[in-house]
Amino acid sequence: MPLFYSFFKSLVGKEVIVELKNDLCICGTLDSVDQYLNVKLNDISVPDPDKYPHMLSVRNCFIRGSVVRYVQLPAEEVDTVLLQDATRKEVAQGKQPQKSAS
Amino acid sequence: MALNSLEPLVGHNVSVVTADGRVIVGILKGYDQTVNMILAQSHERVYSSGAGVEKVQLGLYIIRGDNIAVIGEIDEEMDGEINLADIRAEPLNTVVH
Amino acid sequence: MAAEGEDEAQQAVAVEEPLDLVRLSLDERIFVKLRNNRELKGRLHAYDQHLNMILSEVEEIITTMELDEETFEEIYKTTKRNVPMLFVRGDGVILISPPLRAGI
Repeated sequence: MPLFYSFFKSLVGKEVIVELKNDLCICGTLDSVDQYLNVKLNDISVPDPDKYPHMLSVRNCFIRGSVVRYVQLPAEEVDTVLLQDATRKEVAQGKQPQKSAS
Repeated sequence: MALNSLEPLVGHNVSVVTADGRVIVGILKGYDQTVNMILAQSHERVYSSGAGVEKVQLGLYIIRGDNIAVIGEIDEEMDGEINLADIRAEPLNTVVH
Repeated sequence: MAAEGEDEAQQAVAVEEPLDLVRLSLDERIFVKLRNNRELKGRLHAYDQHLNMILSEVEEIITTMELDEETFEEIYKTTKRNVPMLFVRGDGVILISPPLRAGI
């Protein structure tokens, strides 16, 4: 399973802030993620509702992965050593001559 | 799966933020892998800093997935409490890739 | 057996393609230049072939340019902010610069 897909799956249920490429920030509980890194957030809020009242009647939303600039993560929920090991593993796997699809 | 989480929204009112910064509200009729969407009885909510939100009737719309940023489930209760005519805000920025 | 061990050791340090340089930067503070005049400094914990990344202790610097209405001078302004842990989507990445020297 791709590294970042499985990483985000491990964060389901945690609070994140998604910053979009239109500068809108959406804070919410990560509900689900898919292979494109589309995400679904529950109980959302927008840090600056006066400037961005556009999402006021929305509680849960789906964000297309391609419009995400950043995701601010809860640092205490991220195991950085595990991530580095997983990254090295995935890089090594990518370099192996392709055998059969597993 | 985030994509599958759109399934329960079919038949419900959704608010779609497009890549060019518009907000389109309508009943979700269907979608596919690339997040192409069909909205029925849709209208655009035009935000401006000089006046309240203007509703523009659009009808049946197909929106290409590439041009979609966010799809929000409209919470009818929360939507009912909002007086759109009182809301003044700049339109959303366009998505800059 | 010994030869096999050497092979593995070599593979770990070999730089054959650009992304190998990124691998060597894992757990180091790096500099990242992004689209729209954004720059990041932070410690690299994960990346993939798209250059999606996870950085910690991030400082983001955004540079904006304004034109002085009277003198037509170009005025550059920078905004800084800090984020403890950040996922960066790879499609915005322009360049990555390996470990920063002390003090940066």
